[in-house]
Amino acid sequence: MTELMVTPYAPYRDGIANYAVQEVAAARAAGRDMEVLSPLPSAAQHHLRLGSAPGMARLVNVARGYDRVTVQLYPELLFGACRGRRERLAVWGLLRALCSVTEVELRIHEIEYDEPVNDPTARKLGHAALSAAAAVTVHTEPEQQRLTEAFGLAPGTVTLVDHGSNFARRTETTRDDARASLSVPADAFVFLSIGFVQRHKGFDRGVEALDRLDDPDGRARIYVVGDIRIDHPDLLDYRHELEALCQRVPGAEFRPGYVSDEEFDRWLVAADCLVLPYREIWSSSVIERAGIYGVPVIATDVGGLAAQAPAGSRVVADDDALAAAMAEVAGLQLGDRSVAETTVPREQAAIQELIRARADDGSRAPLEADRLHQTPRASTDSARPGVPQVKRLIARVTGWQLAPVAEHLDEVIDRLRADLHRLDERIDDVEQRDDDAPA
Amino acid sequence: MSDQTPDRSGTIALVPPRYGPEVVGGAEAVITETAHMLAARGWDVEVLTTCARDHFTWANEYPAGTSRDGDVTVRRFETQTDTPGVHRKALGDQLLSGRRLSIAEQQLWINDSLRVSGLWHHVLDHGASYRAIVLAPYMFWTTYAVGQIRPERTILMPCLHDEPAAYLDIYQPLFSGARGVWFLSDPEAELAERIFRLPARTEVVGSAITLPDRYDPEGFRARHGITGPFIYYAGRREWAKGWTQLLDAFARVHRAAGLRLVTSGVGEVELPEGMAPDRVIDLGFVSDDERNDAMAAAAAYVQPSALESFSRTVLEAWGAGTPVIANDDSEVVRWHVERSGAGVTYRSQRELMEALLLVGADPDAFGAMAAPGRAYVTEHYDPTRIGDRVDQLLLDWTTPPAPGGS
Repeated sequence: MTELMVTPYAPYRDGIANYAVQEVAAARAAGRDMEVLSPLPSAAQHHLRLGSAPGMARLVNVARGYDRVTVQLYPELLFGACRGRRERLAVWGLLRALCSVTEVELRIHEIEYDEPVNDPTARKLGHAALSAAAAVTVHTEPEQQRLTEAFGLAPGTVTLVDHGSNFARRTETTRDDARASLSVPADAFVFLSIGFVQRHKGFDRGVEALDRLDDPDGRARIYVVGDIRIDHPDLLDYRHELEALCQRVPGAEFRPGYVSDEEFDRWLVAADCLVLPYREIWSSSVIERAGIYGVPVIATDVGGLAAQAPAGSRVVADDDALAAAMAEVAGLQLGDRSVAETTVPREQAAIQELIRARADDGSRAPLEADRLHQTPRASTDSARPGVPQVKRLIARVTGWQLAPVAEHLDEVIDRLRADLHRLDERIDDVEQRDDDAPA
Repeated sequence: MSDQTPDRSGTIALVPPRYGPEVVGGAEAVITETAHMLAARGWDVEVLTTCARDHFTWANEYPAGTSRDGDVTVRRFETQTDTPGVHRKALGDQLLSGRRLSIAEQQLWINDSLRVSGLWHHVLDHGASYRAIVLAPYMFWTTYAVGQIRPERTILMPCLHDEPAAYLDIYQPLFSGARGVWFLSDPEAELAERIFRLPARTEVVGSAITLPDRYDPEGFRARHGITGPFIYYAGRREWAKGWTQLLDAFARVHRAAGLRLVTSGVGEVELPEGMAPDRVIDLGFVSDDERNDAMAAAAAYVQPSALESFSRTVLEAWGAGTPVIANDDSEVVRWHVERSGAGVTYRSQRELMEALLLVGADPDAFGAMAAPGRAYVTEHYDPTRIGDRVDQLLLDWTTPPAPGGS
């Protein structure tokens, strides 16, 4: 029996790629003849540009050569390059066709519920595709229920599959060694938020919550570990905000960077508690990895996190509950945020001075290099029929004039950002020298 | 004193992007030398590599499958080069111009060249059964991708240069996650410390240089009909290796200096316009013996590359008693030259031209500078001593895999 898995794949490093690699490794170790097809060139045996109707049609053709196909499904994989509603509907139809040429499992990591809710045709076609699959699997009961309702599926169509069943340890280090290697104080109570930095993951909420703990000894710390994947203005903005927030909150530390699988697990070993203050998510690989090492979790009640959270975890509804849970696991109290004892002067200048003084934590705000974004390119996407074609035509007609200007501007911005970063470093050096100089 | 025999059980996998007698490349030479050295010490050694010989085309020229190279098992896997390379080229140009690439762009860049799915899945399937997986050099897909599979068993021999690609985020986990990193020189280790978060286990091991017992410079001249003094360059004839810089300087002074340029290796020579073809003699690919004889016959060996992590040919030249003229931009070669005193470095095209003129003016006097070179090589890069160091490093850093390779 020859099998094909359709999935993002190593050496790309993201949640689904990591998940798929572990599943492929387990399948092959069990003697199954499994190959991989990825949407971008990777370590997979095959690659095929998906996300559109032609891409899906080619996949249907490829799938004929396999006895079983597993699709690690998320919206971008199916619809990422679609040019409007009609093409999206065609993709649903082709997904139905895929399920008719061979045995297909749709392993759903994420799906857009708005579409079947707002578009009866999409709901009908999605229903047909999902019903035709040999298996539709998700990781948590909330996902199972919501998917079944959204597409009007028969009970039992969507089944559960254990998210972390193929996950293996990637480090054997001890907590002390892990902390020493990561420059984390041995005696600190360590909260950890780790993963790609995106606003929907809400890492800022964990930092804000730490700020509310009454921690006179400064023992509680939160480490935010990870970075943005692409230099999108929204992501750059969020990283900047998060960085500034971590600088402001005592005990918070932002460790930007692209970490290895081993280092990722080392952080888990070093942590006392994993904090997943997500604003939205379907399911989480991080929570599964924490389970391998028995790290307690505090997670917000979104997506399937509550179902995934290992025993002893705390699932919280809002920011107050998050702070309370963090205080509880760290053996601390929530701080008293009362301003009753604060004396407010009556003159504007004095109030202004007081505000400045209270806000000044002694650190210098960095120059705002990351606020400079590259020149935005106009999107040619539109849901309105014909509009994408017109936009593309305009882009083609004007591109020869505008593209060089935009590229030049990008270059200037890049250089300016680099200069600002260098200037920041030099100011830091000078300040450091001043600090070190004998009085 | 302990009479316990060191436990060398378990297989050591060495993973270079290319391997074979016709392959030209410093890292590949180090891997070949290491493979045989370890096998001779009783280790079970496998080389996991591609079917490619040429690092420009990555065409599958060797047959896929398993073969033997002496005591070493060689497993070859076919390369996949089915992408147009458009992203690789465009992003590579941006990288060279100093633009910071996003992580998504970096991933696109690394995957838009050769990929070796068979090799990657071989390590995915069998990685746990290897005692160590030694990867080199850092920049290639084989190292980057395979290095993610079993980092706890991975020893990285980066062969690092100070170049834009070294600063890409995607390489950070490769270095920080490896079980250990094995450097060829102090400057390479210092560069890595500046760029990467390194694991606890790092060591400057060096590389073994096997010098022949005798050289035959006269035989070399006779075989190729070469008379008069000449300078020699062996390696890849490409811009990145400083070849065009050398050719340009040579073109300007060769008449005044009365020199020829003899070269061996791969890549197009591309003579400057107006230069008589007989002034540059291209030997093409030559055997190790022939290269050593050429070294011995040359008035000077020129190393124009700024991107060196070790520079075997410089040491081979000194072994043959030949002085070296080297690009000062290469920290490693400058370090070799400063430590040995057996050569000079140049900081500009003008200095290179002047050095060539001095060679031509009095080859014997210039050649006298090479006197301490051979002793430098034997003292620091003696194969037995390097072999002992590598052997001990593997014994110290690795443990035999559990039965069943879990």
